[in-house]
Amino acid sequence: MIQSILTNERFLKNLQRIMLYAAIIFIAFYALFPFYWAFSTSFKTESEMFQSASYLPRNPTLKNYEYVFRDNTFVNSLKNSAIVSSLTAVLALVVGSFAAYALGRLRFKGRVVMLYIVLSMTMFPAISILSGLYTIVRELGFFGTPLALIATYPVFILPFTVWVLTSFFRGLPAEIEQAAIVDGATPFQTFRLILLPLTAPALVTTGLLAFVLSWNEYLFALNFTTTNPDAKTVPVTIAQFTGQFARQEPIAEIMAAAMVVTIPLVVLVLIFQNRIVEGLTAGAVKG
Amino acid sequence: MSQPSPDTYPTSGRKAKRTTLPAQLIGGLLIAIGILAVVVFVITVSQDPGIQFAVNWTASEEFPEQPSILLAFLERFGIILPALVAYLSLFFISIGAQVFGGSLRAAHWAKVILMWLTIGLGIVTVLTIYNTIRVANEEALPVDVGALLGSLVLPVLGMLIIGGVWWWLSNNLENYFMGEDLLIARETRLAWNLLIPTLAIFILVAARPLEQTFIRSLTDKRFAGRGVPQFVGLDNYAQLLTIRLDTVTCRTEDDGECSVRDNGAVRWESIERDLLQDGYRTVSNIPIPFSSGQSIAISGRDNDFIGAINTTLIFTVVSVTGELLIGLFMAMVVNSNFRGRGIMRAVMLIPWAIPTVISARLWELMLKDTSAGIVNKVMMDLHLINAPQAWLSEPSLQLPAAIMVDVWKTAPFMALLLLAGLQTIPRDLYEAAAVDGASPVRRFFSITLPLLRPALAIALIFRTLDALRVFDLFNVLFGRQQLSMATYNFETLVSNQKDGYASAVSVIIFIFISIFAFIYVRMLQVETD
Repeated sequence: MIQSILTNERFLKNLQRIMLYAAIIFIAFYALFPFYWAFSTSFKTESEMFQSASYLPRNPTLKNYEYVFRDNTFVNSLKNSAIVSSLTAVLALVVGSFAAYALGRLRFKGRVVMLYIVLSMTMFPAISILSGLYTIVRELGFFGTPLALIATYPVFILPFTVWVLTSFFRGLPAEIEQAAIVDGATPFQTFRLILLPLTAPALVTTGLLAFVLSWNEYLFALNFTTTNPDAKTVPVTIAQFTGQFARQEPIAEIMAAAMVVTIPLVVLVLIFQNRIVEGLTAGAVKG
Repeated sequence: MSQPSPDTYPTSGRKAKRTTLPAQLIGGLLIAIGILAVVVFVITVSQDPGIQFAVNWTASEEFPEQPSILLAFLERFGIILPALVAYLSLFFISIGAQVFGGSLRAAHWAKVILMWLTIGLGIVTVLTIYNTIRVANEEALPVDVGALLGSLVLPVLGMLIIGGVWWWLSNNLENYFMGEDLLIARETRLAWNLLIPTLAIFILVAARPLEQTFIRSLTDKRFAGRGVPQFVGLDNYAQLLTIRLDTVTCRTEDDGECSVRDNGAVRWESIERDLLQDGYRTVSNIPIPFSSGQSIAISGRDNDFIGAINTTLIFTVVSVTGELLIGLFMAMVVNSNFRGRGIMRAVMLIPWAIPTVISARLWELMLKDTSAGIVNKVMMDLHLINAPQAWLSEPSLQLPAAIMVDVWKTAPFMALLLLAGLQTIPRDLYEAAAVDGASPVRRFFSITLPLLRPALAIALIFRTLDALRVFDLFNVLFGRQQLSMATYNFETLVSNQKDGYASAVSVIIFIFISIFAFIYVRMLQVETD
């Protein structure tokens, strides 16, 4: 009897199906549960933090969000992060697309060397240059301002941008330029008027990734803005959050702040997810 | 661009007199700039306070030792900067000489040089204004407009002259220079024009700081400290990397058995007193198998650093392996056909998108040492543990906790990289194998794994590089309690202010990662065409 059920092909197919969906549910749970936990904690009261953990807030409250938005340091750091990340992304896109066009489409001596330099830069350990960067940031007079971050983030954003965009440029068919040259366009005109519009989707992806990477950056932000609380970015503020009452770690508030910072990112990622995966695989970028 | 009028256009018949007055002027200007660059650099060096101090040094109580002039120079200017100045000035002079002779090719290069010089001087001007205002604001003084204007005269004047010449040359180039401008030459010029911003940024924020790190690692410089740094050779490295292996016996109980701690670990004798006085501290003991109570004590002069290397290596190996296994599983699941695959891919990006600092704090909350921590609660509900565990403060649980957080954050990301690789494997291969009666396990090992190798290699090496330089996670979760290489570097630099020593740590990390990066570059084999 049992034997016949096990050999029944339809049963096996169904079993496979069930196992597949079990695995899918497991993965979704794995990826989402901590996020859900942060979300639900952000609505809990401070006193609930000391009771046994519960999956839903016992007395849901918006107080944490209220505190967070009343906290000047946090609001300020949101502003800083937005400014730093968007300027860094724009700068990296402009400078990076120039370099990528040169590396992907033009013939010149030294191209291979430049490609290797860019590639090795993508693996550069930022901590190794921290002490040297201090000096340079000080000399430029940027220390303790968001400018310090805009000036130093290209260390890790630019090589990645150049690398991803180079592979996009290389993927475009050669006939495009040949036609343009026949029509009498200069190489720069070809770049600006023909190739750049064609890579617009790639630019959106790369820009978004550059934005996310600088939004999440911690090491430089921690070091170059220590002297000036007004220049801190969101990761630093959250790592050092003391909240309204400094006696106890205000975990619920921290989670509310974390939600404010993360939800826009998650929404962006969900909207552009297809493109991001493409961009990431093209650049095999760091996480 | 204006069309050349016939009477100014030099015809091939009048080839003898090719050199024109504008060509001579512009050529002369370039040569002058080339020479001026070296002169300005030499003056800057000789006026530098650090170098002047080293040159004019006389023995005093505060500074008993003669400071090294070479070090003062390297510390301030390095090697890249003088080399760059020398190279560029030679380049300017040689282009200037060719422009003087009327070469069209050189004139085009002159345009490139003049344009970037103008932009460079513009940036200098803006920075000067910014810094004058900043300093005035910091000291709450009114901006000294006179002094500001005084310091702006030279850059602005230079910018106007060079910019003017560039503008004139752009409009009149064809009138005064002749020769052939090949497409390949145009492409080369455009390429360098486009690459100069990237190169400038790389030199300023990557190459120069890296060079300074290397130089400082040979000195005893203290961060933001007084006193003049001195060369100490490779002392910092010796201090960091010296390791001794000694055999030690275990501490015995009265009955002759090895004494054991509460958690089951054997108590070992410490290394010899002389060694302790030399600064050696035991990092860990490895029991010698089949011996009666003996172990090899690994000790180092800087046991924190040796410990940090150890921690980082374990962290890297375990978390990358874990990510690979979980990531591969996820990739295979998501690669099969089911409704909502797109949504799953998006869901898997979420842990990646959450900033590491936030995910560290989030896990800090989940791993709380009471039953308010959800991990403890779930594990207790499932009867996996009896009492709440102090995941983050109990030293033996810290590393596993950090690995858990890292795996959570990056396994889905790894899965997405592998998924891209899986999707390139043609489905008919599996169908053919199934027809031939290959079992699913056989299909996995004979088709999936071999064809996935390139994607696996890339994902593995990138994750390895990332894990080796882990900073955010350890800094937020443990502070100084449990150090990775990068957080150790940070602590020596920022908390202990030992700049020279920290630089040596940086160089070691850099070399570590370079080895992996080198392997990666070799494996990837950059397409050159």
